[in-house]
Amino acid sequence: MYQYDAVDKTIVNERVAQFRDQVERHLRGELSAADLQHLRLRNGLYMQIHAHMLRVSIPYGMINSDQMRTLAHIARKYDKGYGHFTTRQNIQYNWPNLKDVPDILHDLAEVEMHAMQTSGNCIRNISSDQYAGVAPDEIIDPRPYCEIIRQWSTLHPEFYWLPRKFKIAVTGATNDRAAVQFHDIGLEVVRKDGDQNAEVGFRVYVGGGMGRTPVIGKVIKEFLARDDILSYCEAILRVYNLHGRRDNKYKARIKILVNAFGIDKFRDEVEAEWAHIKDSQLKLHEVDFDAMAKFFPLPSYEDLAQGDERVEKWRQLDSRFKAWVDNNTVAHKQSGYRIVNISLKEHSVAPGDITDTQMEAVADIAEQYSFAEIRSTHEQNLVLADVREQDLLEVWKALDAVNLATANIGSVNDMICCPGLDFCSLANASSISVAKQINERFDNDDELYDIGEVKLKMSGCMNACGHHHVGHIGILGVDKKGEEWYQLTVGGDATNSAELGTRLGPAIAKDNVSDAIGDILDVYRDQRSDDERLLDTFRRIGIEPFKERVYAEQA
Amino acid sequence: MSTATANRAIKARAKASPDRIQTDVVNAQAIVDQQLVDNALHHVAEHDELTLETLPDGDISVPLTFYLEHKAALHERESQVAVQVAADEDVADIADHLNDIQMIVLPFVAQIDGRSYSLAYLLRTRYGFKGQLRAIGYVRLDQLGFLSRVGFDAFELHEGDDYQAALKAFLEFSEVYQPSADEGRLIFARRRVTH
Repeated sequence: MYQYDAVDKTIVNERVAQFRDQVERHLRGELSAADLQHLRLRNGLYMQIHAHMLRVSIPYGMINSDQMRTLAHIARKYDKGYGHFTTRQNIQYNWPNLKDVPDILHDLAEVEMHAMQTSGNCIRNISSDQYAGVAPDEIIDPRPYCEIIRQWSTLHPEFYWLPRKFKIAVTGATNDRAAVQFHDIGLEVVRKDGDQNAEVGFRVYVGGGMGRTPVIGKVIKEFLARDDILSYCEAILRVYNLHGRRDNKYKARIKILVNAFGIDKFRDEVEAEWAHIKDSQLKLHEVDFDAMAKFFPLPSYEDLAQGDERVEKWRQLDSRFKAWVDNNTVAHKQSGYRIVNISLKEHSVAPGDITDTQMEAVADIAEQYSFAEIRSTHEQNLVLADVREQDLLEVWKALDAVNLATANIGSVNDMICCPGLDFCSLANASSISVAKQINERFDNDDELYDIGEVKLKMSGCMNACGHHHVGHIGILGVDKKGEEWYQLTVGGDATNSAELGTRLGPAIAKDNVSDAIGDILDVYRDQRSDDERLLDTFRRIGIEPFKERVYAEQA
Repeated sequence: MSTATANRAIKARAKASPDRIQTDVVNAQAIVDQQLVDNALHHVAEHDELTLETLPDGDISVPLTFYLEHKAALHERESQVAVQVAADEDVADIADHLNDIQMIVLPFVAQIDGRSYSLAYLLRTRYGFKGQLRAIGYVRLDQLGFLSRVGFDAFELHEGDDYQAALKAFLEFSEVYQPSADEGRLIFARRRVTH
């Protein structure tokens, strides 16, 4: 993975010093809380209901064992012994003291980590495919491009005070796991005309996003040569920075500007700006890509046959191990290896939460079995990307010993969930307690596996941090006269065949949410044909049958 | 300046927008080329009664629309005339006049406004403006580093801010990742030499 050079180290250390000075000026009374607000936000520090919240950047979800140990140390020393992985592949801590934050940042800098631009109206963490470099369906490894964009966008002086936050995602696989069509800029690494020997470039989407006004991104450029990626992004950002609305924060994202201009006029504006800077020093050279690609080499894989006899035997003998292998591991491009997903959706734990001791265990397991690297996913889980099939049993036992072997990846219990009313000052309704209710309703593993893949995504308010618009089942918390109610949608999809969910009907009382989910899944099981997923059945039969069942029950 | 005041002012004056300074601004000090200097520049706000006759004596800055209307007369004054370009104005409108202007003032009215960062960048790199670019209004220590990167070389700080303390802002970062209107180079270009 990427390693800092002297320039990277200097920038991160100077940013820590700058932030320390800002906090000290505030504590001395020289900088008001209001003036500090925008400064601390740009370093990932929020003020929530109970306390400050610090969000630490994990660029495109890549993290090594030493970094994970530092995250554990921070959880233990400065927080309440746990952290929370987010849908931007970052980690956040819910209880740091303001005066400790500069020290936390210092500890992070020691392992080449930071909290820059994890909040505020600036370019946020670049997110990507959690299976980058190892997925069988990958065309090109997106990580070198992610890192190039990360460096260009870090502390960019012109784009630090945008109308609103700005999110960029990159994918390089046939199946989009990074939800690029729901980003301000989505980049798909492609080869020109799909020819596998042709030059590498990007299909560029713009103006996608969730939030109050969910929009699927539009293609602004069918093929952008990779040399031009920074100048093209800069042209988009400049047009947005100058013309994006600033009078209403709910109308300030680039998607509103793209819709107001129309994609053709927006494209004309960007192309006109780009013409001025296309051949500037932002142009990248072959050697830049080569140098960056060296940070993401193929690990030293052993030459192994597909499958392992001993593991297969255990799989037949132990139903828990079998369920874990079947649900939590996926095919690897290298023969004899598997990708292992670590579910952070253990029953009765808030989705995405992980304790300090669990983090240390993951660091150790990764070091022993997966080249000391871990990835965080936008679905709030972790990944060990390079595990030998012959080691699966040991990895499973080690994970199980720290309650990290819950075999529910991709199931209705593997839900994306924002912190909700329990922590977040924006939320209208709680998410975590509803997640618990659903976990309890679907506590029968056989039923869970029979239902199969369901992307359940829940947000505690219309800001949509839990991506409910693109859940196969989406749940949105709303406030009705001081009571928590929940609006359901069906049929959302964050992948290549992107769709927004269809609203089921009136909001549902909190106590009835898991029953309503049960009804939806009953309709699916009654009506599915062959190996259809819920999403496929929905696309075939529409919303009505689901609606009838849910509201008949609720009536 | 409170938003309430600004809004009342807009209703009274058809031409004004909340992005223009609402009342005249005069600061006794300024930072120019990272040095503290005495200052007497009088920034004149746009309002209905603004005419050539009501302008104050001495060095002034005037709104862009006023400058374009009265350019010839303004240049007959013996003292300096700078031009204000607000965040909602188009720098293309001033492009033909840059040879006649020594200073452009970009006001940050109520808060930090990212548009003026792009305007400054464009004035320096696209239009080649060589005169002084001055930030006034909500200009704080913590913005000076980035403001100077996009092309500003003069600053009048937010009322009450410590000018001496603010000078250290220019020293906060010794490395950058990307080019802007300054000497900063793209990090990958710099690394080409060492690889």
